Amino acid sequence: MISEFIKRNLSTSAIWLFIIFELLFFSIAGHYLSFSDGAFMDLNNMLLLLNQSAPIGIIAVGMTLIMVNGNIDLSVGAVFAIAGIVMLDSMTWPVFAGLGDWVIVVSWTLALLAGALLGALNGLIVWKTGVDAFIVTLGSMLGYRGLVFMFNGENPTSHLNWTLIDFAEAQFLGFNTATWFLAASVLVIWLVTRYTVHGRNAYAIGNNRNAAVNAGIRVGPHMVINFVIIGFLAALSSVVFYSGSGSVNPNDGQLYELWVITAVVLGGTKLAGGSGSVIGTLGGVIAIQLLRKGLGYIGADTSTVNLVIGLILIVVLFIDRQLNVKGAQELRV
Amino acid sequence: MANIASKQVLTVLGKQGILIAFVLFMVIFSLANSNFLSLDNLQSVIRSSAILGVMALGVTFVVISGNLDLSVGSMMSFSTIVVLDLHDKLGPNLAIPTMYLMTLGLGGFIGYLVGYLRLNSLIVTLGMLSAIHGLTLTYSGGQNMDIADKSNTWFGFFGRGEIFGLPVPIILFILLAAFLGVLLAKTPFGRKVYAVGGNPTAAAFSGIPRARTVFTCYLISAFCVATAGLIQASRSMGSQNTVGQGLELEVLAAVILGGASLLGGSGTIFKTVIGILILGFIQNGLLLMGWPFYVQFVITWIIIILAVWLDISVKRGKLWVSN
Amino acid sequence: MNTKTLLTTAVAATVLMGPALAMAEYRIGITQNNVGVDSYQTTYERAFIEAADANSDVRAVVLDAGGDVARQIAQVDDLIQQNVDAIIIWPTNGEAVIPAVRRAQNAGIPVVVTNSNIAEQGFDFIRSFSGPDNVTQGRRSAEIMCDKFKDMGIEDEAQVVHITGQPGYTTAIERAGGFEERLPEVCPNVEVVDTQPGDWNREKAQQVMEAFLTQYDDIDGVYSGDDNMGVGALNAARAADRDGIIFVGATNFAVGYDAMAAGEYWGSIYQSPVDDARAALQTAIDVLDGEDVPFLNYFDTPKITQDNMDQFTKPVF
Repeated sequence: MISEFIKRNLSTSAIWLFIIFELLFFSIAGHYLSFSDGAFMDLNNMLLLLNQSAPIGIIAVGMTLIMVNGNIDLSVGAVFAIAGIVMLDSMTWPVFAGLGDWVIVVSWTLALLAGALLGALNGLIVWKTGVDAFIVTLGSMLGYRGLVFMFNGENPTSHLNWTLIDFAEAQFLGFNTATWFLAASVLVIWLVTRYTVHGRNAYAIGNNRNAAVNAGIRVGPHMVINFVIIGFLAALSSVVFYSGSGSVNPNDGQLYELWVITAVVLGGTKLAGGSGSVIGTLGGVIAIQLLRKGLGYIGADTSTVNLVIGLILIVVLFIDRQLNVKGAQELRV
Repeated sequence: MANIASKQVLTVLGKQGILIAFVLFMVIFSLANSNFLSLDNLQSVIRSSAILGVMALGVTFVVISGNLDLSVGSMMSFSTIVVLDLHDKLGPNLAIPTMYLMTLGLGGFIGYLVGYLRLNSLIVTLGMLSAIHGLTLTYSGGQNMDIADKSNTWFGFFGRGEIFGLPVPIILFILLAAFLGVLLAKTPFGRKVYAVGGNPTAAAFSGIPRARTVFTCYLISAFCVATAGLIQASRSMGSQNTVGQGLELEVLAAVILGGASLLGGSGTIFKTVIGILILGFIQNGLLLMGWPFYVQFVITWIIIILAVWLDISVKRGKLWVSN
Repeated sequence: MNTKTLLTTAVAATVLMGPALAMAEYRIGITQNNVGVDSYQTTYERAFIEAADANSDVRAVVLDAGGDVARQIAQVDDLIQQNVDAIIIWPTNGEAVIPAVRRAQNAGIPVVVTNSNIAEQGFDFIRSFSGPDNVTQGRRSAEIMCDKFKDMGIEDEAQVVHITGQPGYTTAIERAGGFEERLPEVCPNVEVVDTQPGDWNREKAQQVMEAFLTQYDDIDGVYSGDDNMGVGALNAARAADRDGIIFVGATNFAVGYDAMAAGEYWGSIYQSPVDDARAALQTAIDVLDGEDVPFLNYFDTPKITQDNMDQFTKPVF
């Protein structure tokens, strides 16, 4: 029983073993190489790690659902930028001038709505035209980025609101605001995948689309819902982040899609769809952030960071496949 | 009746849609700006498209075989930096083949991972995008590479030279397109590429070696990237480390625009060339009309989706999907 | 499986090892904008490390944000967490880093901004800005161009195109602003006919210039936000056989210097990344030593043209 459980969870637990390896490695290497007088595995440093994982992490949670469903979304980086602009810009609109700090609530809502709408647009195009999600979102990655620039030309959109920044920097029970939002996203989407019809159908569709259609599942609406969710989460990630920084560059969020997908795949979700878990994704996000943090901690230079991150990605993919192939063979025996 | 007629229209549009769109754009832009159709401008567009185009030729093979290559941009930076550095150390005669070998080595490595180890190409090439960038930075120490004596070398031939008034980059692009077009359309190897991408199971049953075919596709892609790097290096005789950054997505957009399905098994070299030209002319046309560069993003978005949508609606016989 | 055991071992190992050694007097952390994207930034990083190594009182933690503002904010937090004595920041976005800089100040860590300043709302939270005066640089470039036009006698008819740096980047905005403000003051009849971003990228600038050349039959001057882009524009003009265009840039690069020596490029602003890096480190050390440091600590960036270039050594980048 237990060994079967392990086998089934080998692919997701691989990422946690990798995280432990990273922690050990950077602690030991840091002992010799780092100029810092604090230990790497300090509690505060680990809390900071979670906080820093939030921007990529919240989006990655949504990407897990999308990829389980057998799709992909390359436009999340652009949605991230648009939502940030909507939030910061709407706070200065004269319409809301009388609201005082309540404008924050309105701006958050508008930004989240914008994200959900852009997600819905992607989802509807994927559904109704039948064009592959990769192509649709490759297109909207460009198109949405164009919208970002149209908003405010090539200038940054900025608005510093110290109430908002204090909120973003606040701590509750020892965790930062961003960490709470990350945790909430993971929890909600985990519940959705485990306990809702929509979640189960997403897996079924990703596993075998034709079988799902034959079983009477309406594929299209489920895809649209997932795109709405990822659009919403990309916007959520954005409002949480920009609440604490207050300025969006039109190029912000570029390459986020690649890091998000990387994290999701490291967490054991299959690109082909049908399997994966948000818990694994959380592991993938933490693993990447830890790698960056650790390489900085031991003083690695830019070229090494790029080289190592790229190769680790391939190595983890390789190990993951070996583990899975082995598991599958044993099951067959 | 109307239904049949509309179906015929759809079929024509689907088969030649991309060509029609191309012609349409040319007409609009030439009406909007008298300089657009000038020989100078046409040549300038094709010349600046040549680098992207050469890369797209190789990626077409990879995509038809059912895989992706997101590493071409950073690999192109690598080739450019390497050949510029070696030019002053070894001389152009040795620098060029050495650069080709090194780039092919990278392509072979990716081909091995995707072909023989069967690792997912999206993630492998994503990893290589980052890793090769790191490699380039390590190689150059992050410094710009410049040829010291730019006037006393024939190295500028590939990027700046002309034969019978035609710029060499354009000639290289045409030659490579013709060669790879024939290779893909007329040879047993080309058929294997389509088979491996279109129906892997059937291909395996009929004894087509998937691993070797995929491996070769990545070698072809690397060869094209090296050629693009050569043109780039020769044209500017100096470069920064990020010269190819972001090109992977432009290349992919062109290949998709040309109708290659990301599921593999379809696409042609000719259509990829049209895809490249469309992107090149849109970029140039908008610039000539004085529109900001980001309008082009939005337009590219719309035509990519329209082009692919049209293509697949013809195949399934209707525009909309219901469930 | 035995995840728990592993975790326990890991915890035990770190506890046993204790803190890393720290003997130096000052630990200074720097987070840079985007190393490796051009050789100015690479040379800056190298010069900074050299300067820090040469000073036995200083240990430097050198980080690079890769152009990503989220990563830079994370790095500032990391440096606060590591409790360094001072933080030097080369902002990816002059406004977005302000809250992070405030956190450093709240933690009692002095912050020095280098190369490209943060926005004014953040001035309360930093100790000093060390770097070039980019507005003055833009103004000086305008003067160089205008003077040359006057020499040529075309100051009443000349048409200029303008290639700017990375959109949204403080340096780019300040230089463009300085240039566009000063040019009409000195040469009121010179017209800037078009402005497009070249993103600090030579290739991009070359493409932009190719389009300018097709679009405008009469271009007398090109102002680029740095020489890297200026040389890209020069390449485009050369390929199109358009002679007689006056190229003026900023941040004199080695390629720009060479092009000046060859008589193809008129002038630029001399700005050394080595000076820039050393000034930043020295400013941080002065702050830590408790010395009185000017708030805007500019280092001089003189005009360089074909006429006076023999007074300058060739840039190393």
